[in-house]
Amino acid sequence: MSEKLLELKNITMKFGGVTALSEVNLHVSKGEIAALIGPNGAGKTTVFNVVTGVYKPTSGEVNFVGQSVVGKKRYQVTKMGIARTFQNIRLFGESTALENVVTGADVHSKSGVVGAIFGTPRSRREEAAALERGMELLEFMGLKHRAGQLGKNLPYGDQRRLEIARALATNPQLLLLDEPAAGFNPAEKVALAATIRKIRDAGYTVLLIEHDMSLIMDISDRVAVLDFGQKIADDVPKVVQNDPRVIEAYLGAPADAS
Amino acid sequence: MADKKNRYNIRDHAATYWENSPKWRRVSMSIAFIAFFYALPFLNNPLVNTPGSDFQSVLFYPVGMYVLMAIGLNIVVGKSGLLDLGYVAFFAIGAYTMAILGTHTALNFWEILPIGIALSMVAGVLLGTPTLRLRGDYLAIVTLGFGEIVRIVAVNIEAIGGPRGIAGIPTPPDLFKAKFTILDPKPYYWVLLTFTLLVIWMVRRMAARRPGRAWDAIRQDDDVAQLMGVNTLKYKVWAFVLGAAVAGAGGVLYASQILSIVPDQFNLNVSILILACVVFGGIGNLWGVILGAALLAFTPERIRFLSQPRILVFGIALVVMMNLRPDGILPKKKREHFDPNWKSVEESGEGEIK
Amino acid sequence: MDFALLHDAFWGLTFDGLALGAIYALISLGYTLVYGVLRLINFAHSEVFMIGTFSALVASGIMGVKVEDDPRTGWNMIFTLLICLVAAMLASGITAVLVEIVAYRRLRQRGATKLATLISAIGVSISLVELFRIITDSLPREFPRIMDKTFLFSYAGADIRNDKVIVIIAAGLMMFALERFISKSRYGKGIRAVSMDENTATLMGVNINKVITVTFLAGGLMAGAAAFFYILVYENTSFKVGFFLGISAFTAAVLGGIGNLKGALFGGFVLGILETYTSAVFGTAWKAVISFLILVLVLLIKPTGLFGESIQQARV
Ligand SMILES: Nc1ncnc2c1ncn2[C@@H]1O[C@H](COP(=O)(O)OP(=O)(O)OP(=O)(O)O)[C@@H](O)[C@H]1O
Ligand SMILES: [Mg+2]
Repeated sequence: MSEKLLELKNITMKFGGVTALSEVNLHVSKGEIAALIGPNGAGKTTVFNVVTGVYKPTSGEVNFVGQSVVGKKRYQVTKMGIARTFQNIRLFGESTALENVVTGADVHSKSGVVGAIFGTPRSRREEAAALERGMELLEFMGLKHRAGQLGKNLPYGDQRRLEIARALATNPQLLLLDEPAAGFNPAEKVALAATIRKIRDAGYTVLLIEHDMSLIMDISDRVAVLDFGQKIADDVPKVVQNDPRVIEAYLGAPADAS
Repeated sequence: MADKKNRYNIRDHAATYWENSPKWRRVSMSIAFIAFFYALPFLNNPLVNTPGSDFQSVLFYPVGMYVLMAIGLNIVVGKSGLLDLGYVAFFAIGAYTMAILGTHTALNFWEILPIGIALSMVAGVLLGTPTLRLRGDYLAIVTLGFGEIVRIVAVNIEAIGGPRGIAGIPTPPDLFKAKFTILDPKPYYWVLLTFTLLVIWMVRRMAARRPGRAWDAIRQDDDVAQLMGVNTLKYKVWAFVLGAAVAGAGGVLYASQILSIVPDQFNLNVSILILACVVFGGIGNLWGVILGAALLAFTPERIRFLSQPRILVFGIALVVMMNLRPDGILPKKKREHFDPNWKSVEESGEGEIK
Repeated sequence: MDFALLHDAFWGLTFDGLALGAIYALISLGYTLVYGVLRLINFAHSEVFMIGTFSALVASGIMGVKVEDDPRTGWNMIFTLLICLVAAMLASGITAVLVEIVAYRRLRQRGATKLATLISAIGVSISLVELFRIITDSLPREFPRIMDKTFLFSYAGADIRNDKVIVIIAAGLMMFALERFISKSRYGKGIRAVSMDENTATLMGVNINKVITVTFLAGGLMAGAAAFFYILVYENTSFKVGFFLGISAFTAAVLGGIGNLKGALFGGFVLGILETYTSAVFGTAWKAVISFLILVLVLLIKPTGLFGESIQQARV
């Protein structure tokens, strides 16, 4: 395949006695929609947390466009080009939808406190650009009419979409989506699938955690499967679907509602 | 959501009126408002008369000084959600800078002012950088300690007067026609008011721009703020340092008016009083904080029997407020815009991203 | 600076430091326990301690002990000491429980922010300090000598005084009892469950409110014991006594790793000794400054403390 954007090598993550990930190798290639699936507690979110610098892996390497992200500060990882959403929505509820998105867009501004106080030309320019970018993304996610409303007051589906808009605002090369369709009805899922494709077509690479198999089969180019912290499969959707180990992992575990 | 939209609300009304006013009306309203505060010392009304000291003095200290400090502390506590319990330390650093340089060098107030502010900011960086990395409550206890430590250090160093402090601090040189003397608090009040207006202006600018968004994000969810690319430590240190700068400026002015200072003036109670002002008015809401500070500073002066146990009263007020009305008398409330066509920037046109 | 004093009186200072450290350790347990279940520093804990010292004082007055009296002896002395100890523990324990109800409970049930809760606690703390300042007219109070203070023996130039030996031993016993309580009793298990994961604990049927009350009570009882030992050794108190002891005890808790009982014990002793040494060198006027610097240094170098926090990493 084409060039590897993200690569996890032998990642092990332990929390006290719990081994959430053991010796996981995983990669995401530029321009694809990759999916990460697995039963509850398999370690999917932990992969995101390791990649974005929330946790430092117990051992192993994480490389992003050739650079190691282990030990980097979280905001530096975001600046390098990885952005994410959260399984349990974590918007800035007391900020408006637009402010949520612009907070992400601020990553690439250079001016800070001093610029803001004195209203330097660069600060003005960057403010205007960030606001414009924010509006653009709200419109893209179908949230333009929500711009002035507080994050906490948005309907559930809009909150999920706003999280994606906020992540996109940081201009990531790699977008990590943690169960973006959780709680969606079938129609919303179809619309979301279209949006994710559109995001990919705009040049972003996507790594997606999802429980909905038909959604996964529909949009992903490649699927990796985790079970009890170990990767048990990694291939195109068709192959993974028929892999006996994957079937066993899912049948062995209680069915998932979401 | 519909009922929210239609509910009558004085504040929203006023804000809408303001937003819809033409520029000339906004400007003239602002000028009238500011002029009123500059003229305030001439207000002679039995309602505001203070029995202990004269109204003009009370206007400078405590009222004006508390308002200024509360605005400064609000950057730290209200905007970024960091609990600083040693705010008095920066006030003390400003005051001691004025006292030491004023009595030992030929520098005058206006020359010492930037030095005092700078030293407070340096202290803010030194204290903030190690502690602001930690969880919020560690910051609270470290600042609590720091406030007392600065006082104890002042008590223990004989070279700066030890427990007796420093006397004979020079007053500022004349400015235009105004003479700064012990007898007339008015010029000090005007300087203080000018500081305050400047700080309000700066805070409002920051709040609407990137720093404001960063602080909002940090206050609401530090982890997520980091993951959205906010350098949280940097912005926390900035908040802390800006707060320190405001207190430092207040301290310099205070010392030049009161003429002599002793370490015990800068005790923990001052920090708590300022915090009470912020909390009482409405954490995070600039106008609420100003109102809260003015009320809390003025009431004990006006009503005599409140002035003895005032710390006790304010301590209880903190608990009661947090239990019953944690958002203060004028809560911070973001105005929401439900108009589907509301936009704060030029429309981009197409629904595509680049 | 006086390094000669440190050198000459090394073992004596070490012993004094151990006694002070035992008191710190007892107080720091309250910080650590509450931190474990609530993830918050109890700002009013220093006043829980302060009230303990005054209760011991009042109890000694009720027992008819006067400052000018000769020390008591025999059973009479033991009985008087015990009464004062129990009075201090009870008062502190009750205060701690009340603090939880007034400062924390309602806010917790409303899901208030951490900032609001900290402010509420600091409000309670400052109110108690002011209340006692007004009651005591800002004056320090002397504690009468109930027990004759004698030197038991000398070791390497250090005079080992009986009251300090009692403090060290009694503090050790108290902490042992607490440790048993936490690891064996039903409530102790509840405390541990809540410290580990509040949601799971609730699901498992643990009554969170009760557990929190018991936690504050346990911390308060320990602070009360510390208050009695403090006043026994140093024989005075004032409305301000909580502030610096509180900061030191908190430093001890952080030094050992907050949320960690063994860490509190160890941190208390280390800090007590360190403070005693450094005040010998720099003078007692700088003692508070030095403990503060130690706190900042610990936070800077090893914020999780020597034994590590017994707290999970935050989840995102
Ligand atoms: N901070 C932490 N401390 C302790 N254990 C953790 C932590 N984070 C995750 N774990 C554990 O690691 C394992 C994997 O968790 P993770 O959240 O990655 O699962 P997941 O695959 O995302 O599951 P789900 O589908 O339910 O979201 C679980 O057993 C979880 O309890
Ligand atoms: Mg997950």
